[in-house]
Amino acid sequence: MKKDDKVLVVIPAYNEEKNIEKVINDVKKNIKFADILIINDKSKDNTLNIIKKCDVNYVDNVFNLKYALSIQTGIKYAKENDYDYVIQMDADGQHLAIEAEKLYQTAKKEKSDIVIGSRYLVDLGYPCPFFRRVGTKAFEILIRLFCHKKIVDPLSGFQCINKRVIDRYSKLGGYPEFPDANLVIDMLLSGYTIKEVPTKMKVRTDGESMHSGIIKPIKYMCVMFYTCIIVLIKNIGKRKEN
Amino acid sequence: MKNIYFIILSVLVILYILYSIRKNKISIKTSFSWMILCIIMLFLSIFPKSIDFVAEQLGVYYAPTLLLTGCVVLLLIKNFNSSKEIYYLQEKVNYLAEEVSLLKSKKTGKK
Repeated sequence: MKKDDKVLVVIPAYNEEKNIEKVINDVKKNIKFADILIINDKSKDNTLNIIKKCDVNYVDNVFNLKYALSIQTGIKYAKENDYDYVIQMDADGQHLAIEAEKLYQTAKKEKSDIVIGSRYLVDLGYPCPFFRRVGTKAFEILIRLFCHKKIVDPLSGFQCINKRVIDRYSKLGGYPEFPDANLVIDMLLSGYTIKEVPTKMKVRTDGESMHSGIIKPIKYMCVMFYTCIIVLIKNIGKRKEN
Repeated sequence: MKNIYFIILSVLVILYILYSIRKNKISIKTSFSWMILCIIMLFLSIFPKSIDFVAEQLGVYYAPTLLLTGCVVLLLIKNFNSSKEIYYLQEKVNYLAEEVSLLKSKKTGKK
């Protein structure tokens, strides 16, 4: 096993002054083989200063680009600097760095294009709001219906992607606003392999989630379902062309 | 000449469009469709009976509805095109923002 793979951990952060330092230290301690890149998505609080103090590579977005485009910025960075693997993590401390290595090893050993860290694959005692569980279940069914593959947690932001996917994502125009289930479906239909690995996750302690409140998650679910359907229609067209 | 007001209005709108083009507030390309619209407006206000003729040809019973339907359809098309244009611009802005962010980080970030 050659050890000279270049791995990049991309952590998009928006208003995470309470969590970011913990996360950076966690990653530094537990993923020694990888470089870290923090994407500061124009946070309104003190996040940028904390990142600067932590002595890591960071990108400071020129304006608020939202989660998806921040990730894409990180992937573009990986592409430019010729990384072999990118591990996406959230800055809120939900994803544990110790688990990231598991993702990377799986991606490497099983030659899987995308490895998703899943909360529900094995019951590891992750307490999850009812609403989110229902949504996740619905997407699972949708994916199984159209792609004949069981992805239990397609909404997880804890992923490891290889070079082939980095290439594709960095060129992807119209990068979706929420790159979750729709992207999973799109990648599966385009012939990429996706593998799931059970990971432990913590519950967010401080700061506010992207999906907080009542209206936002509902809107999110509607947008998500709509995008999934559009992705399916798009791919039907593509298949006929081939 | 009851329709003198409408003629004046049309002429004023045409002048306003020309003024906007001169001041570089609208591109010549986008102004084209508005100009066509204004010329139709002007034509209709000079010859109001023409709408009756067209309605009869198309089998529309009540002429003014034809006018309104035409307006609504035109506006919807225009609106849809604007949506397309906005999306196109948004994509470009996103691309630029990502690139600029990366370039900036190259300057300030440690290597």
